[in-house]
Amino acid sequence: MFLTDEEKRMLAGDHGPGIERAMDLLVKLGDSFDAEKLVPITYGHISYDFCPEKFWNLMTEGVSKTAHRVTTHPSFSPEVWKEWGLPLADKWLGEHERKLKRFKELGWLRTETCAEYLLGIVPRQGDIVPMGGSCMQVANNSLFGARVDRMGILVSLAAAVCGRTPLMGLLLPENRHASHVVELDDLDVADWTLSHYHCLGYYIGDQVPGFKPVAVNGLPPNLPFDFARALVISMPTSGSVTLGHIVGTTPEAPTLEAALGGKKPEHVIRVGKREMTQTWERLNVWDDDHVEHVAFGCPHSTIDEIGRIAALVEGKKIKTTLLIGASAPVEALARRQGWADVIEEAGGHFQPVCPSITNPFTRPDIAGDKQAKSAAADSARCAHYLATVSGVKVFFGTEEECTNAAITGRWKGEIPQWK
Amino acid sequence: MEIRAHTVSAGKAEGEAVVYNGPFSFLGDLNPATGKVPVPRHQLEGTSLANKVFVFTTGKGSSGGDFAAWAAKANGNAPAAIICLESEPVLSGAVIITGIPTVDRPEKNVFELIKTGDYVKVDATRGIIEVEGK
Repeated sequence: MFLTDEEKRMLAGDHGPGIERAMDLLVKLGDSFDAEKLVPITYGHISYDFCPEKFWNLMTEGVSKTAHRVTTHPSFSPEVWKEWGLPLADKWLGEHERKLKRFKELGWLRTETCAEYLLGIVPRQGDIVPMGGSCMQVANNSLFGARVDRMGILVSLAAAVCGRTPLMGLLLPENRHASHVVELDDLDVADWTLSHYHCLGYYIGDQVPGFKPVAVNGLPPNLPFDFARALVISMPTSGSVTLGHIVGTTPEAPTLEAALGGKKPEHVIRVGKREMTQTWERLNVWDDDHVEHVAFGCPHSTIDEIGRIAALVEGKKIKTTLLIGASAPVEALARRQGWADVIEEAGGHFQPVCPSITNPFTRPDIAGDKQAKSAAADSARCAHYLATVSGVKVFFGTEEECTNAAITGRWKGEIPQWK
Repeated sequence: MEIRAHTVSAGKAEGEAVVYNGPFSFLGDLNPATGKVPVPRHQLEGTSLANKVFVFTTGKGSSGGDFAAWAAKANGNAPAAIICLESEPVLSGAVIITGIPTVDRPEKNVFELIKTGDYVKVDATRGIIEVEGK
């Protein structure tokens, strides 16, 4: 790989051991994909809480404040988990606080969300934004046309420390054209909810080999943002799709021809009622209808979503625990609107945590003997990780079905009647 | 029998093969505390990948694959070596960071030539897979 003189000095350790190790990792990764060189980043996005402390210390050792912006993924709140009486909260406290202190010394921004575009941190088309978090990778790539390659959480720290990333994969315009096309067979989407789009995205991710860009054809033009987001963010859960064009909606797909770059698709994936039913069933992993927890906010909730949930729980007491993953600024807006109080009075909680991978109520290593053994989610991504990472029984259904489950403690969700 | 392949993460290791003709994510598909596949209804549900030579198609899923691989490695529950058809950046980063010898783009069909239980040596630095007794 070509390195500038400055990059050679970084790799040689002239700028300290953290930058030396981070450069070594970026160069090895780039070399394994035959990257020609490194390129400067527009901004970076990392996760300090997901990062093992030893790795965090190795990569940030000797690093001073960076000139470029670096933001962060959903965070942990062990002090709040402790207030909630979750027995193992204590063991998360020290490491979280040590890494957060270092994070602040580096001058990085505590956005603490997987949906920064809701905070006004929106990449422009063509911006190079290496990041951890496959759901924001695919959202920034697909919905805003940023150049984001698939990348691990730990590698994204190396890119943030160095302000550089290997020129490879989806950073190269020629790799951004769709190779796979999805066509909807006889599916009327007029009454689809967020969960229906999650389900479709989850099916698509499973059908596309590797992380080839995909184009979804046949949906109404200018699909509402929340639906477009639900569709693309579930793709890298069942598979590794990191760029999902939606024809007529996303910036690089005004037409199917544009999304394909004038080429013929390698493969056409047809989705009909049978595939949707099978996927919906596959996301439901439970035996009895008893629900102990309900999770919203995967990816982090929009203000509209919080408003709808508040309307459904207003004046009621919920029987399960309920967590809404949301960034602090969106939660603050919900509070000004009166909705956060309504949800908390009903028994719900807000957290800038990832409600899927580190849900404090379902993770046995946080909740201990208070672990919820079953959970409902309206996001396919959330259902997938609750089942696999927390190992609990999972109910997948609509926002309304999940909210009803929170109120009654019972699951009454049904497989949709596809039109 | 030797099969040539492309180096993803340098190093040498050997062990019993576990072969899965599908994609894999370190986050969700491997319990770092047990080394086993925890996914309900998965073909490998309950199978241990710890210290095995794991053969699969490609990476998938969350970008947390690398920190999950780190946890598995720290517990001694990571695969000894990996052979896949085509790696992708999350998987490649994970194996480079944790030092799991890994090759991709094998020049022969590994799903025909390697069966679960075969003893396999991987020299990822040189890009050579050796299947014992074949």
